[in-house]
Amino acid sequence: MTGYVVRRLFQMALALLGVSVIVFALIHLVPGDPVRIALGTRFDPDIYEALRARAGLDRPIVVQYFAWLGSAVTGDLGVSFRSGQPVAGLLLERLPATVTLAFSALFVALAVSIPLGIVSAVRSGSKLDYLSTATSQIAVSVPDFWAGIMYILLFSLVLSWLPPSGYVSFLESPVEWLRHLALPALTIGLISGSIIFRFVRSAVLEALNQDYTRTARAKGLSERQVIWRHVMPNAWIPIVTVVGLQLGFLLSGVIIVEVIFAWPGIGRLALLAVQDRDFTVLQGAVLLIAFMFLVINLLVDLLYGYLDPRVRYD
Amino acid sequence: MKVHIRRQRLASLLILILAFALIAGACSSGESVDVGETTTTAASGGDTTTTATATDDGGDTTTTAAAAGDDKSGGMLIAAQGAEPDRFDPHLTSAFASFQVLENIYDTLVQPGDDLSMEPALAESWDISDDNLTWTFKLREGVKWHNGRDFVADDVVYSYTRILDPDFGAANAWRFGSVESVTAPDDMTVEIKLTRPTPNLLVNIGAFKGMAIVPKEIVEDGTIDTNPVGTGPFKFVSSSPDQGIVLERNDDYWRADEGLPYLDGITFLQIPDQTVKLTNLQTGEVDWIDTVPPQQLAGLEGDDNVVLMRVPGGDYHYFALNQTRQPFDDVRVRQAIAMAIDRGEIAEAAQFGAATANQTAIPPGTFWSFDYAPFATADVDGAKALLEEAGVSDLTIEFLVTSDFPETVTQAQVIAAQLEPVGVGVEIRDVDFGTWLDEEGSGNFDAFMLSWIGNIDPDDFYYAQHHTGANFNFQGYSNPDVDELLDAARVETDPSARKALYDDAAAMIVDDASYIYLYNPENINAWGPQVQGYMVRGDNAVRFETTWLER
Repeated sequence: MTGYVVRRLFQMALALLGVSVIVFALIHLVPGDPVRIALGTRFDPDIYEALRARAGLDRPIVVQYFAWLGSAVTGDLGVSFRSGQPVAGLLLERLPATVTLAFSALFVALAVSIPLGIVSAVRSGSKLDYLSTATSQIAVSVPDFWAGIMYILLFSLVLSWLPPSGYVSFLESPVEWLRHLALPALTIGLISGSIIFRFVRSAVLEALNQDYTRTARAKGLSERQVIWRHVMPNAWIPIVTVVGLQLGFLLSGVIIVEVIFAWPGIGRLALLAVQDRDFTVLQGAVLLIAFMFLVINLLVDLLYGYLDPRVRYD
Repeated sequence: MKVHIRRQRLASLLILILAFALIAGACSSGESVDVGETTTTAASGGDTTTTATATDDGGDTTTTAAAAGDDKSGGMLIAAQGAEPDRFDPHLTSAFASFQVLENIYDTLVQPGDDLSMEPALAESWDISDDNLTWTFKLREGVKWHNGRDFVADDVVYSYTRILDPDFGAANAWRFGSVESVTAPDDMTVEIKLTRPTPNLLVNIGAFKGMAIVPKEIVEDGTIDTNPVGTGPFKFVSSSPDQGIVLERNDDYWRADEGLPYLDGITFLQIPDQTVKLTNLQTGEVDWIDTVPPQQLAGLEGDDNVVLMRVPGGDYHYFALNQTRQPFDDVRVRQAIAMAIDRGEIAEAAQFGAATANQTAIPPGTFWSFDYAPFATADVDGAKALLEEAGVSDLTIEFLVTSDFPETVTQAQVIAAQLEPVGVGVEIRDVDFGTWLDEEGSGNFDAFMLSWIGNIDPDDFYYAQHHTGANFNFQGYSNPDVDELLDAARVETDPSARKALYDDAAAMIVDDASYIYLYNPENINAWGPQVQGYMVRGDNAVRFETTWLER
């Protein structure tokens, strides 16, 4: 087992390296220049050249990459072109907001999708099943930015139940934290939940049609025992896979929702970095997201070992 | 079977909740919704030539409503801006969002008054030598920095030296182009020596906070970008992504004897989506917002919770044809385009009428305004004739625009429709601002379209864009007569003579269609009725110095 984990960690490092190369190449290939943007539309060619030289932007790309890599492995992710602040600090500042939103959205998603999915599968073909499937179809098709703004207009402007945007830390006021979290979590959670719902439903359906389910029923077990002792343990595996993927997606800081709800997360930071061609911040943000994604993947794989006795890691 | 029913009920309940949420989400509220993300311009600061005729739009918004004997002091103003400040060093930042905050923290030697003429700030008075080459400023006494230290002339010398340092890369060094030296003969006097007479020196050193006076100690300990210390009405407290930027009253402000500032403090929140920002104002979560989506202006007219103020601003929108490319090097082609369009229509579409069409750059109603409109409006036949004369047919123009400034996209679309009857095709190339700047800089365009946040002084309206070889002359315009006029106007100290020179230069620039000017947009802010003592300024500077909250 330890051997497996060590191998996976090594693969993670390789994956992160690959990601860093791709991001570096992409952002340098796109036209646009952080120094010119930082100087604004009023600039002087001499100052421009001087700043570029100072930032090392006139060196060949490969040299720049290895210079960045060299500092990155020691933990120095560089400094933002836009603000002059250390990248690591910027990321850490915004991480709590993104993580909070990601896990809350996941909570909403699971609270909706798992019960509904199980019931829909068990009562497959019933009106409930059709209604849930249809609703989830609509929910997935609705663009998140539109849904978000609609919720704001309804719950904030019309009903005045919730604040329209912003983030309040839990430590400052748990009540306000929840009130500000509700709409963005709902916006993403319902969409994510709809995706998970379909997987839950099909995973449970699949397990319900297996021989072991028929055997369990034949043995005279109650429906509840059949579901929880035989069907679900098998259904968990594909469900956990998709939940892991969704969580990874959520942690990338759903950019659009962060912008609409003025949520101070990593997604918004990354968007600003792209607009400003702020290479260092973008590298840092993408690497952080990739890292979190890979860690979740690893945890999901390890979770299989716990859920499925057939899985062995050696 | 009990299990069955319970689960059914649970399931039904869950479905109901889910359905309600989705249907609620799906119900259209019937309001127009702006889902586009518009960033406020990243150009350095806002100065303009305008009068300060503030037009009221519902609600009492006069600047000094002297309520008899009220204690106005107190209260925390929550202000929402549409973009994030990048850094707090006034000499380095060029983000408008940064200046919205810095306006309240720092001071310059002189500053634009309510009517945009320059008035004393850190300097109380000044003298100009007979040869116009030496300016002597007497500084205000008793001014303290936010960290307690006394403000002295050396601080001015330090700040200006920093801006002038070629290795430093200050965003506004060009404003000090004629400055030879800055010295402090004593603690309360600053002497500036020039290489040539500079009639607009006051505007150059005081138009906005990019030329602020900063204390040496925060530069040397490296905290100027994260912890600004100034002499202005508010002190910086903190800045974080979740709580925004917090400022508190400067009790030692140099106008404290007048009771200023009234507010206990200001919190600047950053809300990028315009609709959400407006909703925050309407629900009372914030007290003041910096822009209103123009398409929602009409809808807010009757709203008692929202006070709108619109002021003619000194920005101008324009487009420029690439004179290094055929056939745009032929002035007749450019003139044909200039006469074929309808500027009023463009303004209506792009700004929902919150703008004034203009064939020159400087907005009407100010000392420097030049009433000149040589081109007809939507003169299709005239345009066709000119194009034929120039021997041009089957012309297609590719407009370089950017969704980061969405008005440019709308403008290009309207122009495309207006040029169609003339037989000129238009292609729209919409890129992000970073790419736009790149393409503009490398001359890779037929026409580029944007706006300038203009200045109080005409030199900044015209010099850098139309003088041969100047920094922003990306369209490749070169007219030696214009060069001569602009150079002469830079050193002409008599205002009327100076205006005459600029009028002549402007006439040529417009006739040659170096830029084809479109309109001057209005500056609009909005706030709740509890906010008093605030006015929208012609230069778009955000000043809360005299603002108070009615409770």
